[in-house]
Amino acid sequence: MSKRVHISPLANEGMYILDTASWRTERPVMNKEKCIECGLCLTYCPVNAIIFDENKYKITYNYCKGCGICAVECPKKAIDMVPEGGGK
Amino acid sequence: MNYIEKLRTSEDMVTPGMSACQGCCGELVLRRILQISGKNTIVCVPPGCMSGAGVVGWDYQTGMKIPVHIPLLTNTASFLSGVSQMYQRKGRGDVNMIAVAGDGATADGGFQSLSGAAERNEKMLYVCYDNEGYMNTGFQRSSTTTKGSRTSTTPIGEAINGKQQPSKYVALIMSMHALQYCATASPSHMQDMVAKVERGLAESKKGFAFIHVIAPCPTGWSFEPDMSIQIAKKAVASNMFPLWEKYNGNYYITVENKKPIPVKEFLQSMGKYKSLTDDDIAQIQKEADTKYETLKKLASE
Repeated sequence: MSKRVHISPLANEGMYILDTASWRTERPVMNKEKCIECGLCLTYCPVNAIIFDENKYKITYNYCKGCGICAVECPKKAIDMVPEGGGK
Repeated sequence: MNYIEKLRTSEDMVTPGMSACQGCCGELVLRRILQISGKNTIVCVPPGCMSGAGVVGWDYQTGMKIPVHIPLLTNTASFLSGVSQMYQRKGRGDVNMIAVAGDGATADGGFQSLSGAAERNEKMLYVCYDNEGYMNTGFQRSSTTTKGSRTSTTPIGEAINGKQQPSKYVALIMSMHALQYCATASPSHMQDMVAKVERGLAESKKGFAFIHVIAPCPTGWSFEPDMSIQIAKKAVASNMFPLWEKYNGNYYITVENKKPIPVKEFLQSMGKYKSLTDDDIAQIQKEADTKYETLKKLASE
């Protein structure tokens, strides 16, 4: 459940974090061959699950809710929504 | 530095796991605004979807990496006026004062404090994410709910067919105050939105800045979560939500719509308008056209 991470000095107990990854029924999977590194997926991801690391866009699954906006907005259709096979 | 570079290098100020619905544009707007404003910010989030989703924290925990306040639904702008005044007095005019409020806290309950703060030209940036209803409590109608929209307090039935009154155009009302900056933005036009937030933050050091952002709500408006950005795009393309800004007393249309799509295309892409008749659609089309014509006239002066 909510992990207690002390990021801010303001609150007593730390950061309120919800395990939103458990909501996911489909996960976005990026096809690196089609990706043109335009960055629109990062721009539109509501939970900031897409990061820019080592000059590549990558999907992280810790908080991704599986909304699928990235798959719809990708101009090259490089992201597919794959059904989750139980668990993380 | 273009806007994508800016977004990918700036730190997220909001808790990574918050309980906003899948595909929530409110969450997207909140994160982007605070990414642009950065660490030197105090933010006010009145009751609504975003505070309900846990960005103000819960049970002695905080929901943000920066100071966050939860005022009442009615006093967001006056609360932040006080905070802003105190910071000016302490010589900390550099701190960004941001309110991120829903349409209920902006257009309904919070309107008197908002109008007052705009009239006093308090130094702050007030952002309204407009999901056209009280989504947090189950989609009751608000004054920005569009005509013909199904809500839990204006259901579809024999007596009425969705909301009977047209929506209140808050952004235009606000722009008629002598404020520093006023704009409308859409998360689908991210470059435009980022530029407006940056300008709004710069202008908020001199006076009151107001930005009205459309935030399509998959749960309330009944569409698939992955279509959020497409719906926002259609709202702009059909002139249901034109993008413009006002500064130095002049209006500017920032995204010009040379060939607007029929509003029918926007209305039929979601469930909340499913009971509309052709007459209703024609009337909404007329209202959207009038709205855009008014803006064009204001912008050409």
